Amino acid sequence: MEANKLLFVVERDVRLFFQYKFLIIMRAIWFVSQIALFGIIASRLVAVPDYFPYYVSGLSVMSLYSAAIFIGFDIYEEAEHGVFEYLLSLPVSRRQLVLGRSIGGGLRAFIYVGPLIAVSLYVIGAVNPLNFLLALFSLFLFAFGVSGFSITVAVMIKSSDRFDILMGVLDALIVRLSTAMYPLAYVTQANPLYGWIANFNPVTFASDLFRWGTGIEAIITLNNPLLPLLGVMLFFGVFMFLGTMIYDRRIEGGGWQ
Amino acid sequence: MAPIIRITDLTKKFGNVTAVDHLNLEVEEGEILGLLGPNGAGKTTTILMLATVIRPTDGTATVGEYDIRKNPEKVRGLLGIAFQEPKMLWVSTPWDIVNWHAKVCGLSTEERKRRVKEVLESLEMWEARHRNVHALSGGMRKRVEMAKVLIQRPKIAIVDEPTAQIDIVGKHRIWNMLTELRDEGSTIILATNELYEADVLSDRVGIIHRGKMLVCDTPKKLKDSILGGDIIDIQLEEAASPDIFQELKKFKDVVDVLQLKPFNLRIYLNKVEEVIPKIVNMLTKKDSPIVSLRMTEPSLDDVFVHYTGLTIEEAQKSGE
Repeated sequence: MEANKLLFVVERDVRLFFQYKFLIIMRAIWFVSQIALFGIIASRLVAVPDYFPYYVSGLSVMSLYSAAIFIGFDIYEEAEHGVFEYLLSLPVSRRQLVLGRSIGGGLRAFIYVGPLIAVSLYVIGAVNPLNFLLALFSLFLFAFGVSGFSITVAVMIKSSDRFDILMGVLDALIVRLSTAMYPLAYVTQANPLYGWIANFNPVTFASDLFRWGTGIEAIITLNNPLLPLLGVMLFFGVFMFLGTMIYDRRIEGGGWQ
Repeated sequence: MAPIIRITDLTKKFGNVTAVDHLNLEVEEGEILGLLGPNGAGKTTTILMLATVIRPTDGTATVGEYDIRKNPEKVRGLLGIAFQEPKMLWVSTPWDIVNWHAKVCGLSTEERKRRVKEVLESLEMWEARHRNVHALSGGMRKRVEMAKVLIQRPKIAIVDEPTAQIDIVGKHRIWNMLTELRDEGSTIILATNELYEADVLSDRVGIIHRGKMLVCDTPKKLKDSILGGDIIDIQLEEAASPDIFQELKKFKDVVDVLQLKPFNLRIYLNKVEEVIPKIVNMLTKKDSPIVSLRMTEPSLDDVFVHYTGLTIEEAQKSGE
């Protein structure tokens, strides 16, 4: 029964996300436009060989990141509509509630991006099934980690406007200082500090693993997939733990009021 | 039998504002306890503390056998709440809301389906079950909020202004459903600022004002506690003589007698049901026929004025 309650919390967040039909449709249109317009045009400008599939795979990870961030906005929405009080009054433990939300936030992002990943795979072509499964697993962890990260930031910042602006800035920094859109060698070439930061960026880990899994790792020269895998696992562990802990403390301290 | 809820010195401060001030109260199992007070009196804060949503600054309460500070999860397992403001995101539908609520509260699939349909139908929300919340009126949203508790049938149901924004037919329907819920074994805490609602539904009424519990008893006893609270208006065939005036004042439970017009008397008294035959008898003996006689009991409004010195409207304004 207790495990069921955790699943119900997860289920709620997943179902809720898919109620935002307008957002989902617009995001999907944005994703397809990015591929059909920006990807095709930019790949003609860039000297990197096979940049188009490279970009498409990076775009999938970026979309996953954006969708997993959305749970933070839900938290503000709930505080505004008083739904938080309702959730806190339910016969569900605080831990179940917090953990369920982190998992739900990641899972729904993954479900949403799933079809987009399928589009990516169709565009990219070749797939090594075993590598792909491992890459998919790492994307799962990445999505949960981003969800925990979003919850952590959302409960630390009381204003939804500030959260919105901060996430925009973080998105710009985290995504741009990663290998989502360009290979690491080019980032390092531009500035060694950028390259160093990109090396430890979870978006880099997820993007590299996805490309490795889908068989286009040649252009990123990923020698050892274990390192980004460990990186993703660490990111997941830290933010699931941190998000859970901080959310839990804020709830108990009445910080949502 | 031990009370199902025992509140001891419960206090909540928000900064310098004391929302609930050393509140003490016992709620018996199976009763409907009305918490009567204007907005801002501390009813909702008390409810949120009982539901372990917010922590008390001081004092505590036991719900069932569990302390709200030590066993909040166990406490929440006994409770079901219908909030004052419907708590729902605008993209949700009534069906999603109540169905998910029933799941989390542990109802089996079969029972859940049956009860969700039954309650939504009786609240006339079945047709609108798949409409988004933003398309519903305030009253419909309130009904969805109430549906959660009615489907859950918790051991202790807390309903905060359950019929606000609901039309008179809907009010009666909800009152009947709350009475049924009580009859099926639930204990109900009804927070309200509607005097009539508190009067007709509650087995006992507690008056809260500025975070303090002023008095708590049955509506009858609260009304009887006002000396001279009962009123009899008598119209006589002829003008009342001074002799009748004096005789009336001699009755033990008569507090005051006023002559509104030459033929009209107003008598303030206690225990109207015991005194009235004696008055009628006296007037008959004095050969002073009665044209009409009207009895008025004090309302909870009078009780509220008696204990707070303000009408509930005045208290509401002073609390804003």
